[in-house]
Amino acid sequence: MEKEELFRQIADAVVEMEEDTVEELAQQSLEDGIDAYETIDSGLAKGMERAGQLFDEEEYFVPELLMCSDAMNVGIDVLKPHLKSENVSKKGKVVIGVVEGDTHDIGKNLVRLMMETGGFEVLDLGRDIPPAEFVSKAEEYGADIIGIATLMTTTMPGMKEVVDILADKGIRDKFKVIVGGGPISPAFAKKIGADGYARNAADAVKVAEKLLSNTDLALGA
Amino acid sequence: MDVLSPKERLLRSLKGEAVERAPVICPGGMMNSAIVDVMKNHGNVLPDGHRDSKIMADLALDVQADTGFENVGIPFCMTVEAEALGSDIDFGTLKCEPKIAKEIFPSVKDVIYKEDDALVKSDRAGTVFQAIYNAAGHSPDIPVIGSITGPLSTAASVVDPMNFLKELRKVKDESHRFVDYVTNQLIGYAQHMVDNGASVISIADPTATGEILGPKMFGDYAVVYINKLVDAIHEMGVPVIVHICGRMQAVTQHIANLHADAISVDALVSLKKLKEEYPHLTTMGNLSTFLLEFGETPNIQRSTEQLIQDEINILAPACGLSTSTPLQNIQTFTGVAKAV
Repeated sequence: MEKEELFRQIADAVVEMEEDTVEELAQQSLEDGIDAYETIDSGLAKGMERAGQLFDEEEYFVPELLMCSDAMNVGIDVLKPHLKSENVSKKGKVVIGVVEGDTHDIGKNLVRLMMETGGFEVLDLGRDIPPAEFVSKAEEYGADIIGIATLMTTTMPGMKEVVDILADKGIRDKFKVIVGGGPISPAFAKKIGADGYARNAADAVKVAEKLLSNTDLALGA
Repeated sequence: MDVLSPKERLLRSLKGEAVERAPVICPGGMMNSAIVDVMKNHGNVLPDGHRDSKIMADLALDVQADTGFENVGIPFCMTVEAEALGSDIDFGTLKCEPKIAKEIFPSVKDVIYKEDDALVKSDRAGTVFQAIYNAAGHSPDIPVIGSITGPLSTAASVVDPMNFLKELRKVKDESHRFVDYVTNQLIGYAQHMVDNGASVISIADPTATGEILGPKMFGDYAVVYINKLVDAIHEMGVPVIVHICGRMQAVTQHIANLHADAISVDALVSLKKLKEEYPHLTTMGNLSTFLLEFGETPNIQRSTEQLIQDEINILAPACGLSTSTPLQNIQTFTGVAKAV
């Protein structure tokens, strides 16, 4: 099989949530001597990108996106041992988590997934994270971006606190802050002084890319 | 001038009968208004009130008296059901509501099924029943709303939610068996709430949103099990409010299939449009909780007036209130609602 055809089939299998097919095709790519990174980048990640697009278009929803991600991960497990370390270049470092008081992390997990697929290095703090911890971990990790999610209206003030702590410590400019989640709006993001608002997980990748290339775009300013 | 008592007004509204003005309520549970201001005013505080029926009832009555909402809402969280079915709970603080610390089962395939009355026999449920009983006895004209965490949200608080959502597609038979079991537990819970004096049941199911599930899974699971619960409560002779979180475009076609007496929606949804599309629907909502927390008085007034002008049947906050919402803002909301 042609390399491009194989990549296309792998991407299709990810979109179709077919773990077994992905596993077989990933194995085959190794037997054909195709570079593992290329298969991940042009096959698996492409498929996940298309799944993200379907999610954005409301063709796919959370269950489907998670199953696509499982299929992608099966492929990554096959290919990872064969990766040569030099061709792993990352777009930036992201620290993400769900605000203290909220244990709903479905949205955040989707963001991590799409960010990683999109080429970012992600440190996932988990859920129910105090504002100060976002800041300390971001400093430790040398993050470019802090992503804060919440599903609950009641925890929205925690997002503002993160921004305020950054300002108080005089390190606001060191990080781009992206907020998102059910009750969050672009207006709220602006109000609390965040740099970006992400509508959903697929959008988060685009916003992150924009922010690292151009500061003014992400809030539509 | 008010002719009807708050209880008559709410019950009539839920039946679609004429009322002199729309009631203004806050059902409790996910949508509770136990704000810090009220707790500090009277000293009945959370998290103690989650496990003490006297504090729970007193706080619910304080909330009603201070805010002007025309109901008592019990309990103040969404963890009673999941704790009874085995999950670990973090009770939070005065400012921060309780949450699931850890779901007990990783997969629907691992669930150890309890007796169908496990929830009603739990200590937490007992506290809720006693609090409802106390509050209902205190003021018979004020309706007590018993708040229940919906079938899918309870299920996703007992089984790891990421796995649970996949398994709705992947492991259908076991997922249906599990959600059905959860629903049966909730039916018993509702029955005891009613027996102890709840005159309305409100179901909030934030996991069962169109945005998370999509139309297919929403139809296959949310509609089926929410309706099973609603039908059972109707047999007890009690009306039911169902709150749907988030944007609804993906599932609007299912909303008319819900058997609820009123549909409560988030701030993102235009209730006016929903009414136009489904004229028979009794609508509830949806004053932005963001506005309630951060808004200026004139804006709160205007938005409330808009809801009244749009003939929303029951006025309520759009979602769960932040505990740091200023009491005065809530009073502005209820004041404008009652001044009609």
